[in-house]
Amino acid sequence: MQAPFRLSGMRRGVSKMKLHCFERTFFHSSSSLTPIQLPSPMETHLWYVKPSEVKSGSLLNQYLDILPPCERENVLQMRGEELRKSALLARALVRTTIARYQINSHSNPRSLKFRKNLHGKPEVQWQFRDDQHPPPLHFNISHTTSLVACGVTTNAQIGIDVEEKHRSIKHNILSFARRYFSKHEVQFLAAISDPQVQRMEFIKLWTLKEAYVKALGKGFSGAPFKTFTIRFKGVMEGGFNTLEDLSPKASEIVVDSFDDLADLTSNWQFSLLELANSHYAAICTEKHGAGSDEGKRNAPGKLTVWKTVPFLEDECVSGTAAVKIICGVQ
Amino acid sequence: MASFTASHVSFSAVPCSFKQNQVSNSRIASLSFSGKGFSSRKLPVLRFRVACAAKPETVNKVIEIVKKQLALPEDRDVSGESTFATLGADSLDTVEIVMGLEEEFGISVEEESAQSIATVQDAADLIEKLLEK
Repeated sequence: MQAPFRLSGMRRGVSKMKLHCFERTFFHSSSSLTPIQLPSPMETHLWYVKPSEVKSGSLLNQYLDILPPCERENVLQMRGEELRKSALLARALVRTTIARYQINSHSNPRSLKFRKNLHGKPEVQWQFRDDQHPPPLHFNISHTTSLVACGVTTNAQIGIDVEEKHRSIKHNILSFARRYFSKHEVQFLAAISDPQVQRMEFIKLWTLKEAYVKALGKGFSGAPFKTFTIRFKGVMEGGFNTLEDLSPKASEIVVDSFDDLADLTSNWQFSLLELANSHYAAICTEKHGAGSDEGKRNAPGKLTVWKTVPFLEDECVSGTAAVKIICGVQ
Repeated sequence: MASFTASHVSFSAVPCSFKQNQVSNSRIASLSFSGKGFSSRKLPVLRFRVACAAKPETVNKVIEIVKKQLALPEDRDVSGESTFATLGADSLDTVEIVMGLEEEFGISVEEESAQSIATVQDAADLIEKLLEK
């Protein structure tokens, strides 16, 4: 099918026909995914797609084709072409990314099954024999209409959130923060006089809080935003710093919870990046130290970032201008 | 009053889970089977509402707030059945919408309740429930 791909206007008879066309144009997509090894325990992989860079109708067909019917239906139910496209890319990204790691020799993105945990966090439903252990791969995705990202770790819970840097906030920032953020975070934002800077710091803080809640996997109400504070901590001294004072290696992002009992906030590490000059990305992962506090505190993780168009091309962008580390990793 | 909300594309039945409305409310018993993976020919999708649903004015106000928050074009069709997710609301949008509803109606929405709002109708029903208190 060479006609421009449109995800709209799928109605009963037409959609049946289009699905059959997809069958005919499908080829073994799993062979065009570059395989890769799982990240090491202290490492995180981040894969992202920019929907604006995916223009090929046949490529979008391929993505639709690797989805099971219920996921396909969810994509098609989105209201608006842009939303459908980013929803499709989100599913395609998570399936193709996990398939690359060829867990138990499975390399076909179509054959992956997903489920949600008790609180709605998506996870892979691995098919494995009784004598095998479930694979240690963890993932989390986040998407906006302009960027879709998937983070992968080994043996560590992960949560990620991406937001457009220039996203508009409809409410007054401080009113919003007073309603939803902790007192310390409100103080931090209130101290910023420039409204543009304040808005961007707000968005960074939002992504960090979202990433934390998603890593915990207990849903929005499992860790209400007001019950924990995320702050930037100088390695040499505690307390507040504004971001202008920080260099990435000199500081870390920490979370303090008013309800520290179950979550043991020292178990979580954060990274904050600027991706593709357009988005903030926050990554929160579980820390597995050597058991000592020393080990937990002093080992920033390693992050590798790929920009990808699944089945077409991958580009490792770590260390390039596409990835600006604001805080937290090397 | 049965309405078909299955998509127009029909698939053979696959074992996909359906989401049940998590708001347990003695006034409103709402069972919603979101037709995922069920062939629209075999199983009609039904939404039962026992007792009163929210007033149309409340629903319309919610629609207005949602359209504004998501910057939807005026002609975008939004109804009580519309889910926030399919309209493109991400978590920040949803929180802003909830805040907008709190301001508009003078109510306070707990995180648990906010998390269970999936559709415009859910939001309107929750508003009216909170207004009764």
